[in-house]
Amino acid sequence: MKSRGILVLIASCSLVAAPAIVSAQTAAKPKISASAIQIAIVETGDVQIPAEFRFAIYERLVERIGASGAFRKVYRTGDRAADGIPDLVTLHTKVEGFQEGSQTKRELTTVLGATRVDVTASVTARDGKVLMDQKLTGRVRFFGENLGVTNDLAKRITKLVSAAF
Amino acid sequence: MKLTTTLIVAFSTATLAPAQTTTSGAPGTTAANPSVRHIIGLDTIKRNATGTLTVQNGALEFQTGKAGNKVPVSAIDDIFVGSETTQSGGKTGRVVKTAAMAAPYESGKALTILMRTKVDILTVSYHDPEGALHGAIFALPVGQAAQMRAQLIQAGAHTSPSEKPAGDRSKP
Repeated sequence: MKSRGILVLIASCSLVAAPAIVSAQTAAKPKISASAIQIAIVETGDVQIPAEFRFAIYERLVERIGASGAFRKVYRTGDRAADGIPDLVTLHTKVEGFQEGSQTKRELTTVLGATRVDVTASVTARDGKVLMDQKLTGRVRFFGENLGVTNDLAKRITKLVSAAF
Repeated sequence: MKLTTTLIVAFSTATLAPAQTTTSGAPGTTAANPSVRHIIGLDTIKRNATGTLTVQNGALEFQTGKAGNKVPVSAIDDIFVGSETTQSGGKTGRVVKTAAMAAPYESGKALTILMRTKVDILTVSYHDPEGALHGAIFALPVGQAAQMRAQLIQAGAHTSPSEKPAGDRSKP
C-alpha cells in the first residue's frame, strides 16, 4: 500500500517535470540564420591523408549539405558567385587524425581493420566569428571500402550543421 | 603438335593485331579505358558508374552509356594517384557476398579473399568556369592511373610540382 503511494507520487512528479525539460531543451539551442554556405576544401595540416579521401570528404559534404535543405544555396571553394552574399557562412573541416584500415580484415574478423578519420568541423561567419565548432569521427567498421569513411563523416557533419542552422 | 602450336600462334596474331592498332586511335586521342569506375565528383554521372575514361581534344572525358562528362584539361589544377584494395564484381559482387553470409561455419567469408582486387585511384582536382573547386575520383585497373596522369600532363594539365605518384599503401 505504501509502495503504491510512492509510485503514484513519482509518476505525478515526472508528469509535472516533463514539459519543463522539453521546453528547456528547445530553448537551449536557437537556430543560427544564414541563407548560404560555402564548403571549404578539407585542411590536412601535418596529418598524412591520401588526396582521394580529402576530395571525397569535400565532394560528399557539398552533396549532403545541399540535399539537407538547411541552406538555400551551397557554394564550393573558389566560387565567385558567393562573393556578394552578405550572410554567407563557411564550413571548415580540418583533419586531426587518420587511420587507414583494410576492407579484407574488416570482413574476415569484424573487429580489426577499421578505418577512421578524426576532424574538427567549424562554421564561421564573414567576419571570422566562429558560429559552431566540434570534433567528429568518421568510421567504417564492417562492410564497404575504405573510402566509405568519407560518407560516414559527411553524414555526421551534415547532421550537426542542419541542427545548428 | 607443332602444327597445332603454329596454328594457335597464327590465329592469335591475326585476331589480336587489328585490335591493337584500332585502340591506338587518331591523333589527339588516347586509348579508351573500358573499366573505369566513377567514385564521386562528376555532377552528371552517377556514383559507381562504370565507363570509359579518355583524354581527347584537350579534355578528360568520362563516358558511360548515354551520359558523359568532359573536364577541359586547362581547368585541371592537380592530379593525384593512389591505390586501394577493394572488392571486385561491383553490385553483383556485393549481393553475392551478402548472400554468402548465410553459408554454414562462416565459409562465405572465403569469398572476401577470392573477390579482393587492387585498383588505382585517380583524383583530378579542377575548377569550373565560375572558379568553384571540384574533385573527381576514379578507380582504374592497376597501373593505369599513372599512365592517365602522364597523358593529362602531356595534354597540358597543371599539377603541383611537389606531388609524386603515391606508393603502394593498400592493405589487402
